[in-house]
Amino acid sequence: METYGILPMIRCEDVHKRFGRLEVLRGVSLDVAKGEVVVIAGPSGSGKSTLLRCINHLEKVNQGRIYVDGQPVGYREVKGKFVEKGEREVARMRASIGMVFQRFNLFPHLTALGNVIDAPIHVRKMGRRKAQEAGRAMLEKVGLADKLDAYPGQLSGGQQQRVAIARALAMEPKVMLFDEPTSALDPELVGEVLEVMKSLAREGMTMIVVTHEMGFAREVADRMMLIDEGVIVEEGPPAQFFNNPRHERTKLFLSKIL
Amino acid sequence: MSIPLPSLDFEPDVVWRFLFSSVILEGARTTIIVAVLAQALGVSLGIASALMRMSKNPLLNVPANLYVWFFRGTPLLVQLLFWYNGVPELFDNPDLTHQLTSFRVAIFALGVNEGAYMTEIVRAGIESVEAGQMDAAKSLGMTSGKAMRRVILPQALRVILPPTGNEFIAMLKNSSLCFAIALVELANAARFIYSDNYKVMELLVVASIWYLVMTTVFSLIQAELEARLAAGVRDRPPTLFGRMTEAFGAGRTRLR
Repeated sequence: METYGILPMIRCEDVHKRFGRLEVLRGVSLDVAKGEVVVIAGPSGSGKSTLLRCINHLEKVNQGRIYVDGQPVGYREVKGKFVEKGEREVARMRASIGMVFQRFNLFPHLTALGNVIDAPIHVRKMGRRKAQEAGRAMLEKVGLADKLDAYPGQLSGGQQQRVAIARALAMEPKVMLFDEPTSALDPELVGEVLEVMKSLAREGMTMIVVTHEMGFAREVADRMMLIDEGVIVEEGPPAQFFNNPRHERTKLFLSKIL
Repeated sequence: MSIPLPSLDFEPDVVWRFLFSSVILEGARTTIIVAVLAQALGVSLGIASALMRMSKNPLLNVPANLYVWFFRGTPLLVQLLFWYNGVPELFDNPDLTHQLTSFRVAIFALGVNEGAYMTEIVRAGIESVEAGQMDAAKSLGMTSGKAMRRVILPQALRVILPPTGNEFIAMLKNSSLCFAIALVELANAARFIYSDNYKVMELLVVASIWYLVMTTVFSLIQAELEARLAAGVRDRPPTLFGRMTEAFGAGRTRLR
């Protein structure tokens, strides 16, 4: 950790998370370099969503440390001890960590553009005009230039998820976390969302993607991970992960979903 | 054979004469002012107490629970007398007694009582908003207070508004209980006049007409508010106001 220059964009060190007696994460450590795309797969309930939620402190870790861009997430180091940060500080940190949810979670009372510009205006304190300009550009980028004034209820699932991606990008995040972004979509709408994510990856965004879309993973991932029962079972480049997995658990998982 | 009609001692022209009399209009004005201010106080208290009640911190949720328990569990009339007669008696301070006018006590007592009911309405509204909305707001860097104001409450409002409309209509009418603390609101104004001229039925009709006018106008306003809040959620049949404004070419363009 001493040499600041080579610090990864995201670092998890021995992360543990319990819900009551259930230990969902049992010591997860991983580094994600700047610009790297890591795809995490795993059976449901394996802890992969929880890991993403810990990275932006939507869940508090019980043990271990998480750093984003060198900053400890949710905690502050005071004389060698870790103290939970104040809400404002946590919020400021989250503002630079984009997150896309399985169920989109768009704000239904705001238009597509309203969704995209709300946080830039009220969190980043950007001027309305400037935010609108940037918001329009962002929606154009995800192919929704003609849907600025539509409410989420008037959009298809794929369109909603693209608005959600634009909303996260409008905060100019350092990293993007995708929590099963296509799992709630009708099959014919999955492609349009994956396309947006692919172009984002090409632009060099640092991304962690939890997904079961193995075609996407093969094409876009720099690194694959399999999480099962709260630990990383297998990790490696996609070619090795898919063609030559080392662990029985990975083979079993791949045989089920491919 | 003819059935003898009871002689009806009802003079419609008396109704007409008193409908716009200054005492009645003044009473109606007091009713509206008291009801609006008391409802505003009740909504504010309701939001604060709902947030406290939903907190995990017992220092916040216990007082809120006690508040709701007490003010929902005792009669409004008793509460009015409590603030108007009981409190001055308790403190025996002429300055305080002088400050506690019927008008002020009416707004305060009705508002505090209303807050207990609004607590439950606001809580139901907030709980109707999906948990994912808070996650999304936080992931964009909002503090929970900002997320509440910008994301949760605007959505909760849709659920909160219809029962709040009911509450306000009840408030307009319940304010007549303030006759017990000598407030000259609409019903009490009518009572004043008929205790003088004995035209009881006529004056009760006068008061009822004004109550109906108030509740009708308010119902129209409520329908308009609900239609506006429904933006993006579902189509509603156009409101009367909406149809009127559209007829005059001033209608807002509706989506879908």
